[in-house]
Amino acid sequence: MSCLHAHRMFFVRRLVPVRCNGNHPLDLDALTGCLASSACLVTQTTSGFIIGMLLFLVAVGLTLIFGVLKVVNFSHGAFYMFGAYFAMTAYQYTGSFALAMLCGAAGTALLGLIFERVFMSRVYGADVLMQLLVCYAFVLIFDDVVRMIWGPEFKSMGMPAAFQVVPLFIAGGVVPPYYLLLIGVALVAAVVLGLGLARTKIGKVIRAAAHNPGMVSALGINTGLIYGGVFALGGMLAGLAGALAAPVRSLTPGMGFSVLIESFIVTVIGGMGSILGALIGAILIGMIRSFGSLGFPLFTEGLMYLFMVIVLVSRPTGLFGKEVA
Amino acid sequence: MTELQAEQAAVVPQIESRSQRSRYVDVLIALAAFAVLAILPMLTGSKALLDFVIRCSAFGLFATSLNLLVGYTGMVSFGHGMFFGLGAYGFGLIMQRTGLPVPVAFVGTLVITTVIAAVIGAICVRLKEIYFAFVTLAFQMLIHSTILSWVSLTGGDQGLRGGIPRPAFFGIDLSNHVHLYIASCALLVIGLLLMRQIAQSPFGYTLRMIRDNANRASFIGIDVWRAKLTIFVLAALFASTGGIIMALFVSGAYPEFAYWTISGEGIFINMLGGVTTFLGPMVGTVLLLILNDTVTRLTDYYGIVLGIVILFFAIGLRKGLMDFVVEWYAQRRGSPGERG
Amino acid sequence: MTRTRKPGVSRRATLAMMGAGAVTFATPWVARAQAKTIKIGMPTILSGRVAQLGTSSRNAVMLEVEKVNAAGGLAGRQIEMVIRDSKGQPQEAARVARELVNTDGCELLIDAEASSGAFAVHEVARDLGVLCIHTNSETSALTADPKQHIPNAFRTARQGVHDSIVGGSYAAAISKGKGLKKWATCAPDYAYGRDTTGEFVTYLKRFAPDVEIISESWPKLFQPDYTEVVTKILQAKPQALYSCLWGGDLTSYIDQANIYALFNQMEVFAVNMADYTALTVVKNLPKGIHSGNRYIKTYPATAENAAWGDAYKAKYNEYPTNWSWENATAIMLLAEASKKANSADGKKIAEAMRGLKIKSPFGADGTVTMRAEDQTLVGYAIGWGTTIPQEPYVPQVQAGDWKTVFELEAEWKKSKGYA
Repeated sequence: MSCLHAHRMFFVRRLVPVRCNGNHPLDLDALTGCLASSACLVTQTTSGFIIGMLLFLVAVGLTLIFGVLKVVNFSHGAFYMFGAYFAMTAYQYTGSFALAMLCGAAGTALLGLIFERVFMSRVYGADVLMQLLVCYAFVLIFDDVVRMIWGPEFKSMGMPAAFQVVPLFIAGGVVPPYYLLLIGVALVAAVVLGLGLARTKIGKVIRAAAHNPGMVSALGINTGLIYGGVFALGGMLAGLAGALAAPVRSLTPGMGFSVLIESFIVTVIGGMGSILGALIGAILIGMIRSFGSLGFPLFTEGLMYLFMVIVLVSRPTGLFGKEVA
Repeated sequence: MTELQAEQAAVVPQIESRSQRSRYVDVLIALAAFAVLAILPMLTGSKALLDFVIRCSAFGLFATSLNLLVGYTGMVSFGHGMFFGLGAYGFGLIMQRTGLPVPVAFVGTLVITTVIAAVIGAICVRLKEIYFAFVTLAFQMLIHSTILSWVSLTGGDQGLRGGIPRPAFFGIDLSNHVHLYIASCALLVIGLLLMRQIAQSPFGYTLRMIRDNANRASFIGIDVWRAKLTIFVLAALFASTGGIIMALFVSGAYPEFAYWTISGEGIFINMLGGVTTFLGPMVGTVLLLILNDTVTRLTDYYGIVLGIVILFFAIGLRKGLMDFVVEWYAQRRGSPGERG
Repeated sequence: MTRTRKPGVSRRATLAMMGAGAVTFATPWVARAQAKTIKIGMPTILSGRVAQLGTSSRNAVMLEVEKVNAAGGLAGRQIEMVIRDSKGQPQEAARVARELVNTDGCELLIDAEASSGAFAVHEVARDLGVLCIHTNSETSALTADPKQHIPNAFRTARQGVHDSIVGGSYAAAISKGKGLKKWATCAPDYAYGRDTTGEFVTYLKRFAPDVEIISESWPKLFQPDYTEVVTKILQAKPQALYSCLWGGDLTSYIDQANIYALFNQMEVFAVNMADYTALTVVKNLPKGIHSGNRYIKTYPATAENAAWGDAYKAKYNEYPTNWSWENATAIMLLAEASKKANSADGKKIAEAMRGLKIKSPFGADGTVTMRAEDQTLVGYAIGWGTTIPQEPYVPQVQAGDWKTVFELEAEWKKSKGYA
């Protein structure tokens, strides 16, 4: 019986798709099989959601910084990295998860503020090449600084005892409680940012500063403070994401890079400057990863880049992006 | 005729004769440079110096071609490295899989690059500014992903192994170090000369006009899309040649050649050397390679050093070395700035 | 936005400057004269994600070189190591290797690069004819493929195919004993991951033909998020899982699989678990993970091995890694071969190294041999056991049988067209 034939026979008899041995670049049977099974569908959708929400936390900072400051923060991954390392160190010394998260967020907020005021503010208005170079220079510097302080080997924070519990069963799918916390934090951040920018006075000032900084400063508002604040906020969100990810991922200098690339893809697809876009984009990427790893196990990454190209070509400002003035 | 027209009429023949003369001067300089480089192996027994020049040729062609896009046309490409990688893989694959002679493989690689660059360019050059940068980066990562995944063709993450066969042709044997060196120098000089001609030609001035104000250019009837696509493909060809030289140097091709770090290095080089002069990128190449070699000799923390250097140039000098030199020289001469 | 351009500097001045610059910087490239010491060049990775590969290789090499120098050096010449960072890029590895030989006057090379860098340095060794010992590349093709064979290149690293034969037979025994018929695999999507997994599965099925692979996952190397991989595996409901993830990836994977309680649901065979860094870094290490030995000072259970591990730990305040013992072996072999040939000349050492058997704390029977036909190391200790979360981490190790390894390896070579 040929491998493919055996495949089909099994599919008829079982809900869980069976794979043959050997590298199949395309495994649409597994994909369709999963879509047909409710347990699989729920689990894969939840994992897509989980992946997406963490990505959203990182990407929303990036998109915020671009929307208000008109600068692409290529060093965003470094804030994620620092958030994780600060959290891990705080946890090592205090044993408190909450304190670790706080340190991660506060530390990166401070870092973001300093970075913006001292360095980024000098390259506003310069062309994108200069901004890219300044940010990239800092990625190099930060990676080596982390290496010098914490060492080159990978480290682990460990899951706090409070979360070392049995995973929950929700609608037939498996969800670890820690990830529920993660999703919760990300959703709260999304709502606070979205409503905050739309409804509060500060939000209006920020949006005004994004639209017409000259006017805003003519009204007597300190735009420098606004810029610093927004950058600090964006950095803090990335740092918080890093801190939240630290219990489940190994820490290593340079860990920011892969997150940067993915959050980049998310913001491009969702639209630079749009929080809703970052949310939708992140969930989309999460789903592509989750279902893509079933159907296209060897080309999942390529799939994401392909999607990015398609969006850029058909709608360069992204799904929800506004035209940059 | 009006005064303005008379003035313009007087200027035109001057420009023409100046361009004829400058073309001769360019060729003379190219020949002189090649002669100097060619004698070098006789003057010094240092293989390392020859290695250095070979690497300078590869990166110099790459960076100067990037400047054609960035400096002359205002198209900031974050993905130019994909053509460097395509050149290396194309040449490597042709030499490894077919028994074709080196010059045929060389031309074949350029043809393949032209086709791919034309397709990618047609999709990309429509986009403006930062979106052009993003989409070129996306294409580069897509190509890099494909190189990694298509293991049967490219060897995946291990690259093309087993060495690139270098059969002799016209008495030139590229496995001989000195022959490879002379060939690289020749390619560098010819490449730079050709790019110089492109830059100084009317087409080159069209590109500058597009850089300065694309709308105005299209109003006076220039097909902006066509011009951008043409320079995109031309730049890709020279980048590809750089990739071929690198493939010959390491006798292989690796996915790192198509990774965004190569594009990043191209951008650093342009920043180090300056984008306002033609030879800026060449100077930048020499600077970056010297920096790279010296720093890795002395410390493991290359990242910090490179980061500080970039900051120095980006925030401090805010222009490349050649730009600086040119300005300083112009100030000494006291001549007013010229728009060009 | 318009850009102003200043008038160009005369091209003559520009070229003169470049020429002057080139001459000034040419001086470092003059090769230094040879001294009484013998310089050994070592390109490796000292920065980036896999920096630990380079640092642990360097540590081991320096540990051994001190011993050799104290005993008189190589044929009377003191060893001077020149270790340089290639940042993990193959073209840099090639450049560094060439520079070490051409500029720094190194007469021998210890290539401590990872696989793609190793292939690049291999080409340099082919071009320059210098003696080169690959110490970290586990890709079998580097020495097994006759197209790669050059008389001056050797390998002291373990080989993927050896590990898979031993691992496959160990796993098959357990599978038969516990009835583990349904297996899943999870390996990083690059050459090491693909080849090792493929070979393991081949040998697993050879010894336990009932086994069926029902799910394969191929995350990208250094991928931070394994959520989709973990859930995919959980849904396939295998009885056993094989993974050759290593280092930080393995740690991330364990952390993420832990919160899904994956380890309660299947037997896990993780080749690269029994490595001190992974064992000591993972905070919530589950019990009972089957692992091959990377470097464990309790296997081989000899005094020599324990002493070596302790000496390394005492000097560097960290445990040795797999890379450490492989590099140490290279220096040990060099020293022995040089003694045998009574020379520090690369060619003569190469001659003496072929077929050389030396006493080694890492040998399965106390010795390791540099096999002559394909110039790669054999006879090193390979074994599998289950992990516990505290010292000695792998209390019982089942040794692999080299006779079986040789037989099956020969078959494998024939099947690949290498023999």
